[in-house]
Amino acid sequence: MVKVEIRNLNVWFKTNHVLRNINLKVKENSVTAIMGPSGCGKSTLLRAINRMNEIIEGCRTEGEVLIDNQNIYDKNTNVYELRRRVGMVFQKPNPLPKSIFENVAYGVKIHRMTSGSKIADIVKRSLEEAALWDEVKDRLNDSALTLSGGQQQRLCIARALAVNPEIILLDEPCSALDPIATAKIEMLIRKLSEKYTVIIVTHNVQQAARVSDYAAFLYLGELIEYGPTRQIFENPRNELTEKYITGGFG
Amino acid sequence: MNHLKEKIFFAILGIPVLICLAAILWIILILSTGISTLRWELLTTSVLQGGIFEMVIGTLYLLIGAVGVATPIGVLAAIYLVEYSSKGRFARIIDQALNNMAGVPSIVVGLFGYTFFSRLLGLGISMAAGWLTLMLMILPIIVRGTEEALKMIPSSFKEAALALGASRWRAIHSVVLPAAAPGIITNILLGMARVAGETAAILFTSCVLVTRGLPKSPLEPVMALAFNLFVKITVLGESSERVFGIAIVLFLIVVSIAAAAIVLRIYYRRKQPWLR
Repeated sequence: MVKVEIRNLNVWFKTNHVLRNINLKVKENSVTAIMGPSGCGKSTLLRAINRMNEIIEGCRTEGEVLIDNQNIYDKNTNVYELRRRVGMVFQKPNPLPKSIFENVAYGVKIHRMTSGSKIADIVKRSLEEAALWDEVKDRLNDSALTLSGGQQQRLCIARALAVNPEIILLDEPCSALDPIATAKIEMLIRKLSEKYTVIIVTHNVQQAARVSDYAAFLYLGELIEYGPTRQIFENPRNELTEKYITGGFG
Repeated sequence: MNHLKEKIFFAILGIPVLICLAAILWIILILSTGISTLRWELLTTSVLQGGIFEMVIGTLYLLIGAVGVATPIGVLAAIYLVEYSSKGRFARIIDQALNNMAGVPSIVVGLFGYTFFSRLLGLGISMAAGWLTLMLMILPIIVRGTEEALKMIPSSFKEAALALGASRWRAIHSVVLPAAAPGIITNILLGMARVAGETAAILFTSCVLVTRGLPKSPLEPVMALAFNLFVKITVLGESSERVFGIAIVLFLIVVSIAAAAIVLRIYYRRKQPWLR
């Protein structure tokens, strides 16, 4: 089943044409990796899926992004509801300057999904899903900023899970983390794909090989190659892709 | 040779420091002549019995009222300037207007307050007219301070809230503002300290030399330490130790507000790692 379909997507920042005519279909309950060298537009592509590009001044988007066959760039799309359905985790862990509990509860509260003791249940469930519960269950009221980098990133994942998303976007989630914390997040990503559709941006080729089912290679704003991860890595069709995955440039 | 040069250079650099130190010492020396007249009872004794109770409270009334009016306007204006207006022409005009506002001499602000608030709006010589006139002086300080405090908050906080589906205003008031609050309060206090000794702005708009008790409504005139000093020295020609005693009280009020601001800043710097 196709969860996300990107059709003829073009994005400009002011006069800079960042994404050129992207077409891509993302399968439900899979991990799709978007690889490419710095500045190739992979973060922009990710942020086109929850319309986060819009908060940047001078951004213009053309084309369509369909989630469950609904174009999210339609005029009557509720962008707040869209961002609830499409969770996002950023490159640098960005917990809010609130307690661990409040971080996870934040989205639940703004969407008025539930109240009272039920919020505590959601917080617990989300932290468990993000493999963080055991480490923080005795200090839920501590500031989230007291956690380590890897814990903070898992907290951000829990925060995104708490609002019942369908799709999780991860923007180089491990680039600020040490190898052990990275391994934990990668395990978590595999597990998340059982329930959610995961799209991860990474400039780490090995990571893409380890965690993804499908991989896309982006270069200078164009989608060079897209297919099952195995095929991309074992038998790339494009010369550029081969060069990139073998470390030729990047 | 180099050694000598360095010595000379440091000596030259030291002169301004010495001038500042000398000035502060001089002020303290002058003020200290008034110490002998200070008694705790003065603060609680009515002016009618030779105390300064109404002046101290009047000064605080004026300050708190002015800050009370200026804070919502200033903070909202700053939020608008930082978060909503793109760096367009309108924002630049407001920006320039604020710079000019901060540079207007206080006596001119006072004159404006008198003609506009006291006469045209008919507030007369009243606390309310003083609040509004002082507000004009505090507003640029609060707007600028709040802008600075808001800009210190990493954009990643706002991004996190927006990505969860928060509206822009929701992200601002539930994440950005609480994080910026200590910085905003610090700047409000510093603004308060700046105008605590302000005389010209309240000279024509809200003060009288003596009142019977404290003002019962914002439309009544008020007594203030700074105004009292001004009249006693220039009009009544008093230059006794008693005048310096009043000056010390005013000085201490200003210093303690500024000190509170600094303590608050240090405390929150420690608690907010993103400020480091």
